[in-house]
Amino acid sequence: MTAPFRPCAIVPSHNHWRAVGAAVAGLRAQGLPVFVIDDGSGEPARAALAALHDPAGGVTVRRLELNQGKGGAVMEGFRMALAGGFTHAAQVDADGQHDPDAVPGLLDLARRNPDALVTGVPVYDATIPRGRAIGRWVTHVWVWVETLSLRIRDSMCGFRVYPLAAVERLLASGERIGRRMDFDTEVMVRLFWRGTPVAELPVRVTYPPDNTSNFDLLRDNVRISLMHTRLVVSMLLRLPGILRNRPRRVGRSSHWAGLAERGMGWGLRFCAAAYRLLGRRACLAVIAPVILYFYLTGAEQRRASAAFLTRAFAARGEGRRPTWRDGFRHFLSFAGRALDSFAGWTGRLGPEVVVPGETDALREAAGRERGALFIVAHLGNVDLSRAVLDAATRRRLLVLVHTRHAENYNRLLRDWNPEAAVNTLQVTEVGPETAIALKERVEQGQWVVIAGDRVPVQSRGRVSLVPFLGEPAPFSQGPYILAALLDCPVYLLFCRREGDRHRLDAEKLAERVVLPRGKREEALAGYAAAFAGRLEHHALADPYQWFNFFDFWARPEGSKAS
Amino acid sequence: MDDLETEVKALIVDSLKLEDLRPEDIDSEEPLFVDGLGLDSIDALELGVALRKKFGLRIESVSEDIKAHFATVRSLARFIRSQQTADAAAQQA
Repeated sequence: MTAPFRPCAIVPSHNHWRAVGAAVAGLRAQGLPVFVIDDGSGEPARAALAALHDPAGGVTVRRLELNQGKGGAVMEGFRMALAGGFTHAAQVDADGQHDPDAVPGLLDLARRNPDALVTGVPVYDATIPRGRAIGRWVTHVWVWVETLSLRIRDSMCGFRVYPLAAVERLLASGERIGRRMDFDTEVMVRLFWRGTPVAELPVRVTYPPDNTSNFDLLRDNVRISLMHTRLVVSMLLRLPGILRNRPRRVGRSSHWAGLAERGMGWGLRFCAAAYRLLGRRACLAVIAPVILYFYLTGAEQRRASAAFLTRAFAARGEGRRPTWRDGFRHFLSFAGRALDSFAGWTGRLGPEVVVPGETDALREAAGRERGALFIVAHLGNVDLSRAVLDAATRRRLLVLVHTRHAENYNRLLRDWNPEAAVNTLQVTEVGPETAIALKERVEQGQWVVIAGDRVPVQSRGRVSLVPFLGEPAPFSQGPYILAALLDCPVYLLFCRREGDRHRLDAEKLAERVVLPRGKREEALAGYAAAFAGRLEHHALADPYQWFNFFDFWARPEGSKAS
Repeated sequence: MDDLETEVKALIVDSLKLEDLRPEDIDSEEPLFVDGLGLDSIDALELGVALRKKFGLRIESVSEDIKAHFATVRSLARFIRSQQTADAAAQQA
């Protein structure tokens, strides 16, 4: 990049005048020409702003007689900066929230990434009002959806350096950009769509005590909602172009390497914060649009949901087919499950949220010195019962997981709450060593937990086709073969949400699983059918808590079904 | 041929009931899983239990290093021998 780097600063002000003098002086001290836009202020701000006008000293004040809103004022500043031949413009708020000492850092990043929009990521001190904090998080999640990316971590911070060439193209396109509190987010998303990368730098942000905020809680929140609607509709209409123009990543390379996981961590943190602030119901309402997005874009999961609900409704004798509302409710229920798990792990829920149903079998298992095998399903939330177990019992558990993803999830939970640590064993690639290790664990009294409603990829063909909701479905033989090898009692565990509580049920499937020579397949099918029958019973009690979003009845290739 | 390797091969054929296979048909360097002999995950579990019973194999935690010992008959025989040697040393100590 050989073009010169000529930065200036833009300070929009509507009735902010107490702190603006210091802000402008700070910018001047760094040698930046400053454009102050008086956005239709009344007295005394008007006079105070006008007094700053000093073209020879590098400060130009322009007055807009009619209040335009922050976006309108900044756009006026863009036009002045472009006319003055500047390449970059730092946007600094007039109310003293933005620390002028952070400007050199932002400019330095812009100098190294001249085509990027450089934005501060606020590190708030304790002065941020709680109402604003919630609103910010809602917007973060929306922006992740709108940009189909987690690359923008904070879209609302107005402390930025704009690349004016990209801004000029955006202004020339005539695209509508919100001119008020919706401006900061919308201009960033629209620039991102056009291929402008976003570079971020942490900055300290303070809400000054004497601050007269121009943020109108009701009007501006409505405005922001309209903006997100506008952006989502535009995004869907312009999807191919947006994906084609996806900007590259900028910033310290090592830092970005861990972004995907950090993004997930942020998502979890958001959920926890929202749950804490709003409670379960309101939290679900907040994330409902995001779930709707996943519902609309997840054709395969949607079909799987419909296929399951159709059979479940028929088995319940409801005499109707599921509609899109049922499908969406099914998806929402899945989101609710995630929230519950999270709340459980983060200590938001006590043991009282899980009420025992039929749990004699569990007491029996607890009284034994030898371990046992527990078969669970992706129905309701068994995970939650684990979350609220006492530490000693939890240490007895060894959960077999099929994917590395589950291990990542577990690690995230552990970062969040060390007590959530659970022994997991990855069994995607099972070897003889797995059997040896498991055998030792069971002899030491551990409870091995395995899902009975998923067919592991590697065990192709090791399934029994048994009736489930009126049609044969493939069930993995793995749990029963494992039970026979481990030579230990086998229990089934179900945990379903009922109202505000979860009900835990345990029952014994067999004291010993015996697979007689020559009648092996029949015996395996018998155990699988027994499990399928109990699964059906619990699934029909609340079909929306069925969380296998894939074609459950599809026969695996090359299955030697019995 | 190594006696321990022969024993392991016999154990594989017996415990997995590979009726159409004789122990001497198994190559000591042939991968046991996926390719080669093509044993699946359930075979692996059964073999593990049989190995533990016959040779008293112990495994504290499952890691990639541990998995590598079960790749072929040869590596498995080597692993069994190293555990037996360690046990003998522990008994003498």
